[in-house]
Amino acid sequence: MALFIFFLCPALLFGQTITLSGKVTDSSNGEPIPGVGIVVDGSTNGTTSNFDGMYSIEVGKGDVLTFSSMGYLTVKKTVGSESVVNVILTEGKTELEEVVVVGYGSSTKKELTGAAAVVQGEELNKLNMPRMDQALQGQVAGVTINTNSGSPGGSTSIRIRGLSTFGDNDPLILVDGIVYDSEGLNALSPSDIESVNVLKDGTAGIYGVRAANGVILITTKKGKAGSPPQLEVSGFFGVQNTSKQLSVLNATEYAVIKNNAFTNGGQTPPFSNTSLGEGTDWQSQVFQSAPLQSYNASLSGGTEKTTYSIGGSYYTQDGIVGLDKTNFTRINGRANVSVKIAPKLRWNNVLLYTNERRRVLPENGIGSVLYNTINAYPTEPVRQNSEQYSYLELVSDIINPLAQMENTYNEARVNKFVGKQELVWDINKNFTFTNRFNYNYATVKGKTFSPLVWYGPGKAQNSAVNEDLDAPLVEIADSVFLERGASVYQNKDTYVDLTFESFINYNRKFNEKHEVKGTLGASIFNRNGEGLNGTAFNIPNNSVDFADISASQASGGYLNQTGAFNFQERLLSAFLRAEYNYDNRYLFSVILRRDGSSRFGANNRWGTFPAVSGAWLISEESFFNSTFIDFAKVRASYGISGNDQIPNFAYRALLNGEGVYVFNDLLTNGVAIGRASNPDLKWETTHQFNIGVDLRLWQSLDFTINYFVKNTNDLLFQPDVSGVLGTYGAGGFPPFVNAGDVSNKGLEIEMGYGNNPNRNWVFYGSLNLTTLKNKVVRVPDGVDFIPGASFGVGGNTATRFEAGQPIGYFIGFETDGIYQTQQEIDNSPVTQAGAQPGDLRFVDQNGDGVINFNDDSDRVKLGSPIPDVTIGLNLTLRHKGFDISANIYAALGQEIIRNYERQQPYANQLDYVIDRWAGPGTSNEVPRVTTGATRNNVFSDYFVENGSFMRMRNIQLGYTFPKRWMENLNVQSFRLYVSANNMFTVTQYQGYDPDIGNFGGPLSAGVDYGFYPQARTIMGGFNIKF
Amino acid sequence: MFRKKNILTIGIAVLSFSFFTSCEKYLDVEPRYVEDAENYFNNKGDYERALVGAYDLLQSSFIINWIGEIASDNSIAGGESVNDSEGLHQIDAMNHGGVNSELRNVFRWNYAGIARTNYIMEYKDKTAFTGKEIILGETRFLRAYYYFELVKFFGDVPLVVDKRLGAEEVTKIPRTPKAEVYQQIEEDLKYAIENLNWSNPIKGRTDKGAALALLGKVYLYQDKFNLAATTLDRAINEGGYSLVADYESLWTVAGEFNSETVFDVEYSGLEGGGYDCFICLEGNAAPGFHGIRQYDGPIYGDGNSYNLPTAELYNSFEAGDPRKDLTVLDIEAFIAAQANPGDINYAEGGGGHTGYYNNKYIRRLDETGLPDPDLTSPLNYKSIRFADVLLMAAEAHNRNNNDGVALQYLNEVRTRASMPSISSSGSQLTEDIWQERRHELSGEGFRFFDLVRTGQATQYITGFQVGKNELFPIPQVEIDLAGGNWSQNPGY
Repeated sequence: MALFIFFLCPALLFGQTITLSGKVTDSSNGEPIPGVGIVVDGSTNGTTSNFDGMYSIEVGKGDVLTFSSMGYLTVKKTVGSESVVNVILTEGKTELEEVVVVGYGSSTKKELTGAAAVVQGEELNKLNMPRMDQALQGQVAGVTINTNSGSPGGSTSIRIRGLSTFGDNDPLILVDGIVYDSEGLNALSPSDIESVNVLKDGTAGIYGVRAANGVILITTKKGKAGSPPQLEVSGFFGVQNTSKQLSVLNATEYAVIKNNAFTNGGQTPPFSNTSLGEGTDWQSQVFQSAPLQSYNASLSGGTEKTTYSIGGSYYTQDGIVGLDKTNFTRINGRANVSVKIAPKLRWNNVLLYTNERRRVLPENGIGSVLYNTINAYPTEPVRQNSEQYSYLELVSDIINPLAQMENTYNEARVNKFVGKQELVWDINKNFTFTNRFNYNYATVKGKTFSPLVWYGPGKAQNSAVNEDLDAPLVEIADSVFLERGASVYQNKDTYVDLTFESFINYNRKFNEKHEVKGTLGASIFNRNGEGLNGTAFNIPNNSVDFADISASQASGGYLNQTGAFNFQERLLSAFLRAEYNYDNRYLFSVILRRDGSSRFGANNRWGTFPAVSGAWLISEESFFNSTFIDFAKVRASYGISGNDQIPNFAYRALLNGEGVYVFNDLLTNGVAIGRASNPDLKWETTHQFNIGVDLRLWQSLDFTINYFVKNTNDLLFQPDVSGVLGTYGAGGFPPFVNAGDVSNKGLEIEMGYGNNPNRNWVFYGSLNLTTLKNKVVRVPDGVDFIPGASFGVGGNTATRFEAGQPIGYFIGFETDGIYQTQQEIDNSPVTQAGAQPGDLRFVDQNGDGVINFNDDSDRVKLGSPIPDVTIGLNLTLRHKGFDISANIYAALGQEIIRNYERQQPYANQLDYVIDRWAGPGTSNEVPRVTTGATRNNVFSDYFVENGSFMRMRNIQLGYTFPKRWMENLNVQSFRLYVSANNMFTVTQYQGYDPDIGNFGGPLSAGVDYGFYPQARTIMGGFNIKF
Repeated sequence: MFRKKNILTIGIAVLSFSFFTSCEKYLDVEPRYVEDAENYFNNKGDYERALVGAYDLLQSSFIINWIGEIASDNSIAGGESVNDSEGLHQIDAMNHGGVNSELRNVFRWNYAGIARTNYIMEYKDKTAFTGKEIILGETRFLRAYYYFELVKFFGDVPLVVDKRLGAEEVTKIPRTPKAEVYQQIEEDLKYAIENLNWSNPIKGRTDKGAALALLGKVYLYQDKFNLAATTLDRAINEGGYSLVADYESLWTVAGEFNSETVFDVEYSGLEGGGYDCFICLEGNAAPGFHGIRQYDGPIYGDGNSYNLPTAELYNSFEAGDPRKDLTVLDIEAFIAAQANPGDINYAEGGGGHTGYYNNKYIRRLDETGLPDPDLTSPLNYKSIRFADVLLMAAEAHNRNNNDGVALQYLNEVRTRASMPSISSSGSQLTEDIWQERRHELSGEGFRFFDLVRTGQATQYITGFQVGKNELFPIPQVEIDLAGGNWSQNPGY
């Protein structure tokens, strides 16, 4: 209550007011500027200039007015005795005045006390990436983005300041304040984005229990008051190709290698003739050129009372694997309207609609199309005759990838409405009261058609019983058989998020030097999800044309199956922020948030999350007198935030496991515990300290440096647990636990340079650099480490969560060349069981004279998937109408595990095996090939590669036609460009793409299971403004 | 005017602020349409459904079938390559160690079964109803069954009884001496024997005879020959079992649930399945795995060529023993005997080839489940059949110096196989019974454990090290996850 009085009391004092008016004009041509924001400093009182550049506002004597507009330098005027103030604005970029959305309010870069970064939507949109997060890669220091899949619509992993948890590391993403899952980012069109703000440090704590992974605030485009309608139309068309093909063996090489391997394994060599030519190049059969295109139209503007920004866009992309079978298509609509319905009351409406369709082929891992492509052997033709694809009969778990693509039919359609209804009441010049209702409604409809297929004898993926595609028979009663034909699986899921938020902003300056701001509010969040699904068999004609449950011919429901799910989750929050600014020199801010989450049990439901921050604007001091430093600020923050990213009801045990047994020859459903319970489960807590410096030099060079220490405690995760717990039955899972601490420390440097925009040659450049040290500090009591991703198929684990090491570091055997002769093995002081000439020689780490394959005594750290340094570089050069820009991203110091090779006698291999050991002195790097038992496939540094890379993500050349040519056509500006994404990558990595995310959680980061590479795309596009 | 509004607004905000923070109830979200583990066991149906869940883990028996044979002299691992199911190849070569995913599965799956029985036992007193002792009897039978598998494989294992462990607790639990685990197994089975009926009307559920047979087996594994003999005698004399005349019919789905069935693990082909989750399967993965690689011909379906019998096993059968070809399929001889041998094809796996296949558990064309049919055979695993009970009883009596009864039981088994009676005695009779066990029961997953139990393993298994290979190593990762305080089994 005390805080309330603190807010309340100054509000009781009112000064004398006068009405001020005037006109705002452009310095270059004297034209009026509409839509200029005019705000009384230290208050929420403000207005905008109208179409003729005119404004009028109630102010008090001595108030300071700030005039700002996009693309113009900001001007400040102190109110004197005059009642008319005309203002002239000059074009220019003023980063310091850039508005930074900080959650339930906004600030400017100048006044910010926390570590936050802003990226303009324009910068992201320009890269022509389908997802905002893809475009964000390399744009912001401290934000690491990796691609989980290069397939159209594939997701990314977004990491703000490192991996801090074992489980969900995704930041909280809010679009105009509305929770937007990172999973669902496919639905957001980059063309709708005005700006992206990233809150990186403890000040993100205004979002409390969800803020530990950082917060990304996305603002969509809005209209400006008093600006004429502006229509913008843009589009591009591009062609994608694979950026890489792996070097695998051709038919002749394959035959030679396999003969050698079989001979070494004591078996008959399979090829009597090895002159088989090139054979089939499966990769060139599978990879194709694929088109993508996108069109946007947007209309925005406003009168004094109403502003609007409406738009629509269309995006469609085929995949380089499978073309239409991996198509991603998205239609977006936006209707953002704001109306002043009373002098002090504004109604804001945001509505974003998305219709999206994605098709996928199996990817990433055993059974994926690319896995089959890499491992299919070159001596097999693509087709055995004009009708049948070949069967690749020699390898049981590899099927013909072309047949696989042809037989895969699935799509998921998403319809999504995201928006808010907001009423903002400017109670007086100090208080604003905002009430808003946010909604995020999504329906997901999926359909998968599984025809009867035959990939060859003995293939696990067969659904027919023979080449003639006869259906399998199901005995439903004694000697009563039903055919089980083609099937279709359909699901329809609905998710509804509703949030009600109410908050008061207070802003007041007194005695010229003391400015106080406050925010106080509460939020209620509710999410409901429900889904219904079914599988129907005996689709007529084995044809996708009839692929719908309604067409099922399965009699009496004996075969068809149904399923459903349902959940609800809730969050209740109250938050407070108090800021104090003394004379624009000393800034201080306190944040307090209290959250209650239904994800936790009654004894651990509520959490309190505080944060403090402060800044000193040295350059505002009177003693500061520098000719080249225009601005200097030092800031520090410390805050506590939480992470509740675990499934609902993880704290209690539910009977949702699988307990099915056969009684009386019938499948009998019983019950079993699903996930084991942990009633003491609570959120994990991140304590973050940040210190930073902001500098502006020579009116052109901006510097931001941040150093942070981020400690995450009580990590929420679901580690592998002892089998004794009994959670490894069907449908069972280990419990979620709070165990382990992780520390991230890093340095972030951002630099921006922009010379005078009025010169002939204009240059903008920005560089950001992030270093990161990630370390596990504590693992659960009594456990030495938590094993992670498996390697190969033999039960080896390759990664770990272990104290003193980075999350998911690689551990295995170090090699020291290859045993060249039997004599060398015999004379070796180290006994390596089963070693033969040509085998890898492992290092005896503990010096006991024996390589022990059964415990850890000879295993060492072999690498880490976390880069030491990531660097992003953006360069733009303009001369007259021409512009050229480049976007470069580099990640250095990480390693990748090559885990996509199938060690099967007949599977194809990468061509480095040509340089294998084949007798003393032939190789000291690549071991012999053999079909016999060998320890060469144990996880060792032989399978670890340097994952560092540098990538030219985008390079483009544009030309903007001179204004005078366009004027007659009623066109404001017209730009044409050519652009290329993923032009080249500098790396030593042998796999498809070193930019791999973590498909299966943090402990499988850096493990390449046969990653779908990002395409190289060449595009041409246009942008017209009317 | 303004002031009043301000005060009103702020008042509302303050009120709502305190309202929200105190509104605990809003957060009491209950899961919908699913039962909570702590509010269960309210009626007989609840207990029965939990019992179904406890039976579920029996379906992991395919892995016992593999390891029991592959570890022994009966068969080799086989398969596509030595890297495929590497763990089985290591067991075959007797160079297995602490990293072995097959052994880890044995450890995890049996403990999962135990946890499900313990969940029922934890709430055994919650609700009273008639017939509860039968449900608890079955529950305790299953717990004994799972623990017995674990002591067979690993020796000392942590004993958890009538409770579920917490995530913390499990990192501090020690290994319990084998003798104590056996004691619990015996107690559970005695309870089952007391409370179960001689037959259960529902096919697939266990009964008194099965509990007696299992207890007899448990005694035999501890060399408690007297107790084994009396216990097995009860099953033989009172159980109403008899050997079926046609040995061949034992290995077909059509021949299941016969007079010789003591305890079957039930499988169904009605639910498909894949390689991603073996424990989710409702079918038997063994027949498909034992199947002939890329076979295209009559009677048999194709399969993965695992667990291939050795020539030594095939040739060890006495002349004229009909069980020889019913146990081991000589593929070349079989093809040659067909009408159109030229049209029949199959492939040899890169993991090894002997020319022989397990003819008991093998994928046949008329016994196939839904895709993937290699994993979903409806063929039951005969965990305990009457011939086994007779031979165990014979061994117990023989070792208990009662050769008369021993001979009677032994010859009952031989007679069914049309083999001449034996009249040896003493240690020769012991040898004869052991030999008979091999010929009656090979391919069924018992051989390795029989050899270890009888101290013959080093004699028959190449690479077997005495003092080490009697037990399998505890998976290293399980030692780590249990706090790292367990000592590994000797020699590993």
